[in-house]
Amino acid sequence: MNTRSLRFRMTAWYAGLLAGALLVFGISVYLGLERYLYSNLHSTLASQCRTIGTELLPQLPIKGAPWLATEINEDYTPEANSRFIRVVKEGLGVVYLSDAPKNGEFDPSEIPWPSGEKETLRRIRLPGGLELLVDALQFTTPDGSHFVVESGAPYREIEIVLHGLLLTLAVYVPFIVSVAVGGGYWLMRRSLQPIDEITQRAEGITSTNLNERLPVIRTGDELERLSTSLNRMIERLDDAFEHINRFSADASHELRTPLTILQLELEEIIHNHRHNASLTDQVGSALEETHRMSHIVENLLAVSRLDAGEVKMDKAPLDLGELATSTVEQMKLLADEKSITLRSNVGRSVYVEGDRSRLQQVIVNLIDNAIKYTPEGGEVNVSLHRGVNTVVLEVSDNGVGIPRPALPHVFERFYRADKARSRASGGAGLGLSIVKAICTAHGAKVEIFSQEGHGSRLNVELPLLDLPEPDEAGPALGSSKRLRENSSDSA
Amino acid sequence: MRILLVEDETKVSAFVARGLTAERFAVDVAADGQSGLDLARTYHYDLVILDLMLPEMDGSQVLRRIRSQNANVPILILTARDAVSDKIGNFEAGADDYLTKPFAFAELVVRVKALLRRGPVSRSSVVRVGDLELDRLSQQVKRGGKRIDLTSKEYSLLEYLMSNAGRVLSRTMIIEHVWDQSFDGITNIVDVYVRHLRNKVDDAYEHKLIRTVRGVGYSISNGAQS
Repeated sequence: MNTRSLRFRMTAWYAGLLAGALLVFGISVYLGLERYLYSNLHSTLASQCRTIGTELLPQLPIKGAPWLATEINEDYTPEANSRFIRVVKEGLGVVYLSDAPKNGEFDPSEIPWPSGEKETLRRIRLPGGLELLVDALQFTTPDGSHFVVESGAPYREIEIVLHGLLLTLAVYVPFIVSVAVGGGYWLMRRSLQPIDEITQRAEGITSTNLNERLPVIRTGDELERLSTSLNRMIERLDDAFEHINRFSADASHELRTPLTILQLELEEIIHNHRHNASLTDQVGSALEETHRMSHIVENLLAVSRLDAGEVKMDKAPLDLGELATSTVEQMKLLADEKSITLRSNVGRSVYVEGDRSRLQQVIVNLIDNAIKYTPEGGEVNVSLHRGVNTVVLEVSDNGVGIPRPALPHVFERFYRADKARSRASGGAGLGLSIVKAICTAHGAKVEIFSQEGHGSRLNVELPLLDLPEPDEAGPALGSSKRLRENSSDSA
Repeated sequence: MRILLVEDETKVSAFVARGLTAERFAVDVAADGQSGLDLARTYHYDLVILDLMLPEMDGSQVLRRIRSQNANVPILILTARDAVSDKIGNFEAGADDYLTKPFAFAELVVRVKALLRRGPVSRSSVVRVGDLELDRLSQQVKRGGKRIDLTSKEYSLLEYLMSNAGRVLSRTMIIEHVWDQSFDGITNIVDVYVRHLRNKVDDAYEHKLIRTVRGVGYSISNGAQS
């Protein structure tokens, strides 16, 4: 369990607070009850003393000590109730002493004499460890004799009740807290569930699917507000991205007219001064730069449009093998120029659905790139690997390769791994961006693998098209062909 | 031959008009859509060159209006817009050709001439530049009566150069004509092929026919400047 999760922390806080509150409640109940029982016992003992002192003692001279003993025993049954009662007459000694209680928990004769105060409440600890609460009251009967009446009870009576309370609390507090923790956790999970959903959906939103939105549950609560404000944020991001794309597109667009004028202007100079070789050479050089600029503008516009999804792909079933072969064929001469061996290991009849001209651009860009970054005498290989549902077009070389830190950036616009070298070879750093954009539009995946100094490998993985086998189109022809093949095998 | 040029960018229209006049065309210039349409309705033109982004009236609208009255006049669209959907939309509305800015003037001229020629095209089967001879029917190339063997791409390249002999053709034009747009802007394929073509056509001869115009492109001519 994640101890940092909101769910856990909220539940822990909740449980902690509840346990704390229950503890405070328990302690105050315990203390209050103890106080109440104590004063209750005290007043019971005091009222016993008072009854004996005011109602029985005045009759003692007339009725005698045995009568008193009978009265007290009848009224209070001290031995049955575990009570201690003692009546002492000043100067005469003990007039009455209750018998030992039936359970024999204390011996009344062991209880020490009271001090001479008017009323004292004592908590006496007997040698056996038992504690007694003893109240002593002084009385003066009408005939002028002074008595001390004592009444006591074991303190255990209070403790039993308190122990009972403690036990109850000890059982119920943890029970209540654990029920509260369970319930709280469940409640938190329930109320945080939408947050998990929102998080997952938000994770899935990248720059390519900014048009998607998070689910909004119309509950009117904080979560609804959260998802709507997240949605608004995504919308602003979407706008910003679109703005950037628009900007590239607009900028390239606006650059075209001045480029046209520049180009026409320079062409005219060359045309008018065609006999002045040094001038035409200089102007020609300037013109070459305008061409380069035009190409950058074109490509930037193309990438922006592809990224913005503005370009309609003219998709149709096509044979990728045939396309790769013909493209390699057309680029052989480029490789020959650098004494690079351009090999292709490509079968036929590998059908995919795509825009022929765009896919050719992908292959051209990849091969051109490979040739650019491979020194003279190197090798460039083009191959197709057919998988279950996909086909991988692989262009590999044994050229300079790409340093590891640069790998994640090679598909970014204008990115160059080696600024000096690639500028000299004339690229604008847009070739691979175009490849990536076209591949994305085709639902294809582009991957680059490279080892610096050992070459690079680019993989384009395209979904295969399920075309009926040529056999089905012409069963007779197909089967006869197969028959021939079989017979030649057996021969 | 009279051409109507509808273009609001005065520098561009001045150049195009000057260049076309030098090619012996009569050129009228309109700077906005409305006046362009008015001119097209008033006079007879052999060709209309129309920019798409125009003040007053959008180029596509001008195109539609001109077409509704005159089904025959060739219309060449000139624009900085190149989204494929735009192109298709305008072709459907009756545009005959489409040229994206920035363009080389030579390319404009080639396209204009192609559009004007469109009716009765008389292409002789044999083209000659100096002592170089190309037979379109047999696809054979001879120089000074000696046969030269060319690959199919080299042949297409030479055929394109010779069909436009004396004119400087830009790399973009050559790529679009001989290869495919996919190769544009990325490779130096044209230079490589021209070098190979030169090896076969010019190297053995004192008199060189293929000429490089730096920054512009290539042309083939018999020495005398056009």
